[in-house]
Amino acid sequence: MKKLYILATLLLVSVAALAQDGKSLYQKYSDAEGIQAVYISPAMFRLIGRIPDVNFGDQAVNLAPLIKSMTGFYLLSTENPDQGRALAGEVDRFVRSGRYELLMEAKDDGDRTRIYTVGDAETVSSLVLLTYDGSETTFITLDGAMSRSDLDDLFAKAATR
Amino acid sequence: MKRIEDIAQLSAEDLERISLDESIPVPAELGRRVHRPRPRRAWVGGVAAAVVLLVGAGWFFSQDRPALQDTFTDPYLAYAEVEKALDRIGGTLSYGAAKVSETQETLESVLK
Repeated sequence: MKKLYILATLLLVSVAALAQDGKSLYQKYSDAEGIQAVYISPAMFRLIGRIPDVNFGDQAVNLAPLIKSMTGFYLLSTENPDQGRALAGEVDRFVRSGRYELLMEAKDDGDRTRIYTVGDAETVSSLVLLTYDGSETTFITLDGAMSRSDLDDLFAKAATR
Repeated sequence: MKRIEDIAQLSAEDLERISLDESIPVPAELGRRVHRPRPRRAWVGGVAAAVVLLVGAGWFFSQDRPALQDTFTDPYLAYAEVEKALDRIGGTLSYGAAKVSETQETLESVLK
């Protein structure tokens, strides 16, 4: 009976370890009908790194400097409400597992956006965006080794403007 | 009490006659089953086998997935897509930063 408990625990741990990141979510949904999928590999990011720095956007929080530290990009977007709910459900599961930490949630006129981070106190290994604008659900994951203090500084500068 | 040397000299017939003699008292504890504790390491093999099985299953299922293909072959197009995403994330963070700033101003005016 003791061996059975140990085996059952190991099985549960292994099942919980499956499909726990943006890449596995992308692999699960990218071929589904009605879903737009974009993937940018680490090799492509190395090529992007050679493009001269360009400042873009007029946002108070400019994340352009983070591109140099990125290694992967996964985007899933759908206008199908059932698929959208499934995507949101997967993200909720990641949050419950403790891997995703909510950084910010914004709700405005029916639009809802959540930003999550994955990593430790020093480094953000993934930046995750889940957004719903009334008709379309979009899931974006940016992988890399982004300094958490750099991200905090960008936000703090914008908040004190 | 008999000594081992004396018992060793008994013939098979003598031994059988003595075993069948019910007048000879037998200690009560002799009827109890001897309990031999299992070696402590007996369960380690089972757990090790389970771990190997799980690792093998995980490797097998991971092999089924084909390698991901880049959506773009042009790094400028890929850069544009990343720029769009970062602009979106930056926009949300900027919205949050603006709200934090408004709240700070309100708190400062209340505390004055």
